[in-house]
Amino acid sequence: MSWKTVNRNEPAINPDAPPILSEALGNKIRSLFPRYDTKRAVLLPALHIVQDGLGHISWQAMKEIADILEIHPSDVIDTISFYTHFWTHPKGQKVITACRSVSCETMGGADVLEELKKQLGIGEHETTPDGRFSLVTEECLAGCDHAPCLLINEKMHKCVKVEDVGRILADDNNDKIDHKRSDLFDAPATDAGAKDVPGLESTSDVAEMKASD
Amino acid sequence: MAKIIIDGQEIECRDNVPVLQAAVDAGWDVPHYCYHPGLSIAASCRLCLMEMKMPHPQTKEMGWAPKLIPSCQTPVRDGMEVRFATDKVQQNQKNCMEFFLLNHPLDCPVCDQAGECHLQDYSYKFGQPESRMVDQKLKNPKKDIGPSTLLYSDRCVMCTRCVRFTDEVSGTHELGLVNRGSRLEIDVFPGLPLDNPMQGNVVDICPVGCLLDKDFLFQRRVWELSSATSICPGCATGCAIRIDHADDKVYRLKPRYNPGVNDWWMCDEGRFGFKYIEDAKRVTSPIVRRGLDATSPEWADIPEIVEFRFEQHVRQHGGEKLGAVLSPFMSCEEAWLLIEFLREAAPECTLAMGPVPMEGDDQSFPVGSSGDDIKFTILKEKCPNRRGIEMLLEAAGGNQCSFDEFVEKAGKAEFTAAWIVGGYPKEWVTKDFAKAAGKIELLVVQDLMQNALMTSSAFVFPACAWAEREGSFVNTAGQIQPFDWATNPPEGARRDGQYLYEIAGYAGLYSGERVRELMAEKIPAFKEVHQPPVRPVHAH
Repeated sequence: MSWKTVNRNEPAINPDAPPILSEALGNKIRSLFPRYDTKRAVLLPALHIVQDGLGHISWQAMKEIADILEIHPSDVIDTISFYTHFWTHPKGQKVITACRSVSCETMGGADVLEELKKQLGIGEHETTPDGRFSLVTEECLAGCDHAPCLLINEKMHKCVKVEDVGRILADDNNDKIDHKRSDLFDAPATDAGAKDVPGLESTSDVAEMKASD
Repeated sequence: MAKIIIDGQEIECRDNVPVLQAAVDAGWDVPHYCYHPGLSIAASCRLCLMEMKMPHPQTKEMGWAPKLIPSCQTPVRDGMEVRFATDKVQQNQKNCMEFFLLNHPLDCPVCDQAGECHLQDYSYKFGQPESRMVDQKLKNPKKDIGPSTLLYSDRCVMCTRCVRFTDEVSGTHELGLVNRGSRLEIDVFPGLPLDNPMQGNVVDICPVGCLLDKDFLFQRRVWELSSATSICPGCATGCAIRIDHADDKVYRLKPRYNPGVNDWWMCDEGRFGFKYIEDAKRVTSPIVRRGLDATSPEWADIPEIVEFRFEQHVRQHGGEKLGAVLSPFMSCEEAWLLIEFLREAAPECTLAMGPVPMEGDDQSFPVGSSGDDIKFTILKEKCPNRRGIEMLLEAAGGNQCSFDEFVEKAGKAEFTAAWIVGGYPKEWVTKDFAKAAGKIELLVVQDLMQNALMTSSAFVFPACAWAEREGSFVNTAGQIQPFDWATNPPEGARRDGQYLYEIAGYAGLYSGERVRELMAEKIPAFKEVHQPPVRPVHAH
């Protein structure tokens, strides 16, 4: 398809657009700097913070993250595009991830997925018009012993039957998880939260590497 | 020096180089894409895998390791034993080549890289004729990633050399790897194109036809090009380059390996800076004026005419009225021949060096580096041979002055005869200079482009572009670097070296080497020249 040329000289972002990252999000990213040797190393946590805060990471957000971390925006898209976890376009409030791997498939995962598509009225990698749900599939959710599995945001639904789908979708708390998440992500993005982030102790091999330098 | 054994043959190699480098240096054609001696090691292409002898983890007995080991990532150790010509290694190469060709389009007939493509070469030498691929090939689009470069994603083998280049050498980080696995692509952030003063090198280090130069795109098949070794005249760094030409036209410049000077790289300014060779304003034939009468005599008659006019002039006005401006674009040989002639005509003549063009500041790469971290420098001094002319002037001694003093003296009509050499690709004659030079009665102008001096001059000699000349330049580090001619001068013109050789009283064909021998008798520094080592045949 070499005759089709994609023009990469065209900017993806409007240079005059106001910043998309709030001061609080920016500060939360900066608060992690003491944890790592380099600012570049904060990239992954920063991406989590921005996706948690904004729902997805737009081109504009990538540029702003790059500016905060003093790296080139191409390094940000490099990392984002490696992980399927990160969204570069808007997603629904709740992301339903259906497993399409062997265990779930043999236990009726495909039917569950069909039912989901029917009830939501959308296909894979689509978002409902009201913006409540996005539907994606994933290779494995690491819950083969409870196949078929569904993931709604971070809440795992195990042994899902076709007839359960309606009930799960109707439940408002279908994405509430019981266990506590890392304080890094649950702590609200405020200026005050900035200094509460605990430092991490270096592991022995890091200390060794530093010593050998 | 370490000694290692490859395929039962003992070879000597530099310490701590990768086994791959040692093997390539010793003449083995070890296939590789991701390894480049100027970049960090990625060990991602898996083509260079070899069998190596390792101590057994339990018995510590030396034996062949069951797995193949990337030779690019394994430094040599004295007494090490590796095997390259084995079935296991060859089977891996076949499998790798099959893998690289899974999604590679069959577009060699329209690909610029065809003929110098390592995918073609390795496929032929190490690959296999069949592919087991039955599915549709992935078809990635072509991307316009910058003002001078195109990226054909579908031809890429993901060696990541270009990404490492922008990270480690240019330090500009424009290129990144987007997506993952079979969908992996090289890309830039939209709106932040690959646009840095060294970006052309990514095209050179791309082992396949993925990154291509817009300037050379679809201009010529590479097997029709001939190459001449040369030195870049763009700045005083003196990068070793190769001029690729055909039918007396320069098509492209490529860097040659020159450790300590330009290593493997060159800048875009030099790379694309050769276009002035075909400028319509170039002087193409000699002109001799006597009063209002202007003629274009045969080249064979010129030495006699010049000698006669200068002799007559010196007899009339005295030798101290003769001046000369040597250009920092001249080769050492040409300048020496001219000095020889002038000093013989009038030993008390005044010599000067023309203006040394300076533009902006020195640029170091990686961007923002300093001290030992600097891998490449583009100098602000935009001429190739200031040092060489200074060396010759120092050796010549006698009356000398700076260019400004020369202009001042000429303005006061202190010179009645002068030989002014230009050769600057850009306009260089100022109004003051033209006015001052107008007062010189016997003016010889030897220049590349037509300029204001030529209206009043007694002689106009065409100067040739560096690609048409032969000689040597001395870079800022004082290395005397010889270069060859690539193309012929435009019709009617002659190589500067040739007519200066004849004017200086020598007969026969000019040769840079011959003139250097003559020079070395008087200036011992010219006995030895700096020749970059030849890279092994199979290195790329």
